[in-house]
Amino acid sequence: MSYLVLDGLSKSYGKVPALRDFSLTVEKGDIFALVGPDGAGKTTALRIVCQLIVADAGRVFLDGHNLAERFDALKSILGYMPQTFSLYQDLSVEENLIFFGGMYGVTGEAYRARRDYLYGFSNLGPFADRRAGALSGGMKQKLALSCALMHDPHLLILDEPTTGVDPLSRRQFWEILLHFRSQGTTIVVSTPYMDEVARADHAAFMFGGRRLSVGTPSDLAAQFDGQVLFLDLEPSSTLIDKLNTIDGLSARRFGSAMHLYIAKDQSPARFAGPLASLGIDTTLIRPASPSLEDRFIQLMETGA
Amino acid sequence: MRSFIGLLRKEYIQIFRDKFMLRLIFIMPVMQLIVLGYAINTDVKRIPIDVYDYDQSALSRQLVEALKAGDYFTPSFRLTADEKAPLWDLDHRFKDGHADMALIIPSHFSERLTQKDSVTVGLVADGSDANGARSGIGYASQIVRSYSKQVTGMEPLFEVRSTFLFNPESESKYFMIPGVVVTLLTMVSMMLTAMAIVREREMGTLEQVLVTPIHPVVLLMGKVTALAILSILEMSIALGIGMLWFGVPFAGSFLLLFALSGLYLLTTLGLGMFFSTVTSTQQQAMFMVWFFSIFTMLTSGFFTPISNMPNWLQQVTIVNPMRYFLVIVRGIIMKGSTLADLWPNVIALIIFGITLFVFSTLRFHKRAA
Repeated sequence: MSYLVLDGLSKSYGKVPALRDFSLTVEKGDIFALVGPDGAGKTTALRIVCQLIVADAGRVFLDGHNLAERFDALKSILGYMPQTFSLYQDLSVEENLIFFGGMYGVTGEAYRARRDYLYGFSNLGPFADRRAGALSGGMKQKLALSCALMHDPHLLILDEPTTGVDPLSRRQFWEILLHFRSQGTTIVVSTPYMDEVARADHAAFMFGGRRLSVGTPSDLAAQFDGQVLFLDLEPSSTLIDKLNTIDGLSARRFGSAMHLYIAKDQSPARFAGPLASLGIDTTLIRPASPSLEDRFIQLMETGA
Repeated sequence: MRSFIGLLRKEYIQIFRDKFMLRLIFIMPVMQLIVLGYAINTDVKRIPIDVYDYDQSALSRQLVEALKAGDYFTPSFRLTADEKAPLWDLDHRFKDGHADMALIIPSHFSERLTQKDSVTVGLVADGSDANGARSGIGYASQIVRSYSKQVTGMEPLFEVRSTFLFNPESESKYFMIPGVVVTLLTMVSMMLTAMAIVREREMGTLEQVLVTPIHPVVLLMGKVTALAILSILEMSIALGIGMLWFGVPFAGSFLLLFALSGLYLLTTLGLGMFFSTVTSTQQQAMFMVWFFSIFTMLTSGFFTPISNMPNWLQQVTIVNPMRYFLVIVRGIIMKGSTLADLWPNVIALIIFGITLFVFSTLRFHKRAA
């Protein structure tokens, strides 16, 4: 049996469904990413795993145990970092570590060893006496991660840990995650960033409380239905509107260029005429492999 | 046990780091004591009294001297020897606040007294301050009566001699300060508890702690223990100021007072926990506690005796825990009451305390889990 199993979870807030028949299996030692826009149900799913809310239907199994039934015993192998910064802002970095370490029974020599080990990754050592509330966004997230790692959990649940964090801190944060993955920690992380998904072992696309698709990042991208062409031209909404008038072709902004989508069985050459008639230099077009984002948008639009 | 100490440690770091709260906690007792110890002074001293002496004799002047003697009145003469003006400015003098009372001595006052004939003197008081007027008239009548006895040598048919037990000088601060101690203990423990729990929820820290192996109830107990100790400290400060600065005599047992205060804390901490479960922001919690405190204070017998309240309101005060604690604290401090005297109040506090504490703990647990 897989390490973490979410089996048919449903949850509504009043009449608003947040999660609909959501299932997932996470293998031991994997980094598993939940991807989707705000309101996709990522937080609800993770909070159910942490037993902070109770699902209307469905069950969660951890290492073969029904999580709801054995939660008190399983708490000590679980680490959780919520979406909003939830440490004591009026306590210092070190005081937060002492407190959360203490809650898991990590005290004395074991505490000091663990603290120094984690400082090695977070580089928070020089800020040990600073109030948590006075840390920068990236440092706050590293402190929250450190607190969640104080007791060396087997399963780490991270809810959008890098949202609103600068790119450099995001990269450092993921390096820490990859280190703990190599130590055997299973990590479930939610994120709105596609580039982070690529670093995960498996990922699930979520939208409107449903699981749209699941697989390895490369599998997910490869599930794209159609062909992708890269158009190396500065995107503008008027240009995209014009391109979308071409029958059988749709266009989308892709960074500082554009992606053109055509059906699988179409020859790209067929569109050379219509594109040229819009005044587009067809030499700027070349075939591209579909990105995770291409696939995700396709799934959202088709409502698959 | 180790994690419980960790919880206490964390609470104290937080309390002593919040400079604003800290000032509030320790300045509040001083302010309350000063306001209630000095400003709300129901003692009647140096009442300005106007004297309309139409007799202008040695005897009438002796009567005024007698009024002056006790430091209860400061008389001012409104008529000169040859004036026979009516009482036209009495009303005016009351309105602009120059006088609170007037004594009217009729002409032929000394003549009648020497003939041992009955004579009437007038006492008028500004009734807009009903309590002040009542005690002013009381004092003045007493003085007039004893003067009459002294001059005529005639004993009245019967005489009333009143004594204030436990507070011979009838000092209102001796009565007020134990009340302040009670309100402080109530407000501080209730408000800090409600706010500290709501803050954990508001900041999301409660959720972070709930995923740790610590049981939510242990978390809660750590918090209330820390705040209970702080509240007792606060009460000790208020009591200390009351005794050392205001010279309130302490007649009873400190041990009994602190033990019963601990018992009372079960009630206030329970209420604080309850308010934290029905509010979601610190602001809401503060307003709720504030509203509740005012209501309990006014119906506790702190300012007005419960026996003065209308019957239906007296029935309402039965469910006011502060009422019982106020009796206990005033009893121990002023009268040296013992457990044997106070037991019905103690039983009331045991019932309130256990019920509220257990109910709120369960409610918190249900909401947290």
